[in-house]
Amino acid sequence: MSFIEVKQISKTFRVAKKKSGLKEAFKSFLKREYLDIKAVDDISFSIEKGEIVGYIGPNGAGKSTTIKILSGILNPDSGECKIAGMTPWKERVKYVKKIGVVFGQKSQLWWDIPAEDTFDLLRDIYEIPEEEYLSTKNDLIEKLNLKDIINIPVRQLSLGQRMRCEIAASLLHSPEILFLDEPTIGLDAVSKQLVRDFIKKLNKEKQTTIILTTHDMSDITTLAKRIILIGKGKVLYDGSLKKLKNMYETETYISIKTKDSLNIKKKGIISKKKNKEGYDLVINTKLISISELLTVLSHRISIEDIEILEEPIDKMIVRLYEDYQI
Amino acid sequence: MKIYFKSLAMHLKGELEYRVNFILSFLSQILVFFTYYFIIIALFAKFDNIKGFTMYEVLLCFSIIQFGFSMNEVFARGVDRFDRLIIRGDFDRLLLRPRNIILQVLCSDGDFVKSARVIQAIIVMIVALLHLHIEWNIMRVITLLLMLLSACIIFFGIFLLAASYCFYTVQGLEVRNVFTDGGKHMAQYPIGVFSKGFVLFFTFIIPYAFVNYYPLLYFLGKKDTIIYGLSPLLVIIYLLPCIIVFHLGMKRYSSVGS
Repeated sequence: MSFIEVKQISKTFRVAKKKSGLKEAFKSFLKREYLDIKAVDDISFSIEKGEIVGYIGPNGAGKSTTIKILSGILNPDSGECKIAGMTPWKERVKYVKKIGVVFGQKSQLWWDIPAEDTFDLLRDIYEIPEEEYLSTKNDLIEKLNLKDIINIPVRQLSLGQRMRCEIAASLLHSPEILFLDEPTIGLDAVSKQLVRDFIKKLNKEKQTTIILTTHDMSDITTLAKRIILIGKGKVLYDGSLKKLKNMYETETYISIKTKDSLNIKKKGIISKKKNKEGYDLVINTKLISISELLTVLSHRISIEDIEILEEPIDKMIVRLYEDYQI
Repeated sequence: MKIYFKSLAMHLKGELEYRVNFILSFLSQILVFFTYYFIIIALFAKFDNIKGFTMYEVLLCFSIIQFGFSMNEVFARGVDRFDRLIIRGDFDRLLLRPRNIILQVLCSDGDFVKSARVIQAIIVMIVALLHLHIEWNIMRVITLLLMLLSACIIFFGIFLLAASYCFYTVQGLEVRNVFTDGGKHMAQYPIGVFSKGFVLFFTFIIPYAFVNYYPLLYFLGKKDTIIYGLSPLLVIIYLLPCIIVFHLGMKRYSSVGS
């Protein structure tokens, strides 16, 4: 049996129907109409110990609901879930000792006091033995570079500094599983890099299983080998990122610097645009390979410089969402 | 318990960060709340008793209720402001920690400015006691302590009920104030001064009468039966359904979400 085993989990929310206008407001005051929304619909997957899984999908796809179910905050209407041999919502106290959760949009640090005080309190909450606590804490301080910021009231920290403290706070009790809900939201490039490097290291050194939700696709490319894509509460894709790329990444951008004028029509060239120094081409690599194109081109024009760009993964995801109509 | 006191210390630390604000709020609390006591004094300038209760007797009753209420405002602020915990989504965070939820809610907030009211209540109580000619004996001391304790417990129970209400809806929070603030204002007077229906309601539905009426009668020597003096103990039983209701609400929360 896998470390995390999710079987056919469903969760429906009842939402009161709201219509605009005063008349409708009175009507709904007297008689509410409800709408059942399936936030999570028959989701199954399993994750092995030590995996990093990117859990992606558009807003409202059911990502947060799944995370809440897996972390034991919500219980599903139906389905089973065994994580490290426990059912999260049934053995809450025992289970939550094994997990760490970082919500990118919600802080768990006390606003008016330094992060270190929060850490000390967490030590008592999780009943971490003093020795273990100190070594874990020092390790985190070093790896996340917290030394200079740990004694400043949290409200005075920048977002990037705060996020590093948040991550440290979630790891003090050395959890086996770490849920990261948009951990890089709003961070600058340097902080993002630091957080990603740290997560990678953590996974490698401690075999921590990591489930990551994000809208930043570069998080996924640098961290996760496997992704689970959900939309409208259903699992749409579960597999390696590479395979998904092969399935979808068929557009390549080529920009050519040349003084000659180019007149080319060939199967596989999606678009051709003239710019100041030459041309921008978009080709479908399934129909025409890059080398093929270059041979054709070099026969016709003299190429001064050439730049080849893969399709950005964000754009690929957009197309993916479109294909699945989510 | 250690966690609780540590959290309180941290809240205090946080509050003291804003020093001027803390001092000014503390002073204004004292000034504003003395007006409550002045109302009673003004009332008794017109009448010398209300249904047989003298001014100092009413002040004693009043200060005990204030004491219980304010103690909860200081030490159980998290329960009092539970709606904020739900609205902000911070309650989810508590569910992720391996501790009892009510304990964690208690830890989540503290309001030390309100300790001004506690101090004030104690001062008024002492003044009232000095003016009343009490024949002190051990039973009377126990009764007085029980009254203070049960005042704290009953408001905790009521705060907890009000908090449970937040699991169902965070709209229309005024409803719960009827029971917390409204109840407090009623209970500041010996329940006996009200009509019989009120007495029954506040005996059996929200047992304020066991806090400040039956024991008060014993304490002041108006009734001799010891049962009256020990009646505050019944309030502890009242806490039980309050805790159960809170846990039911929690169950609902985890199946419904926000």
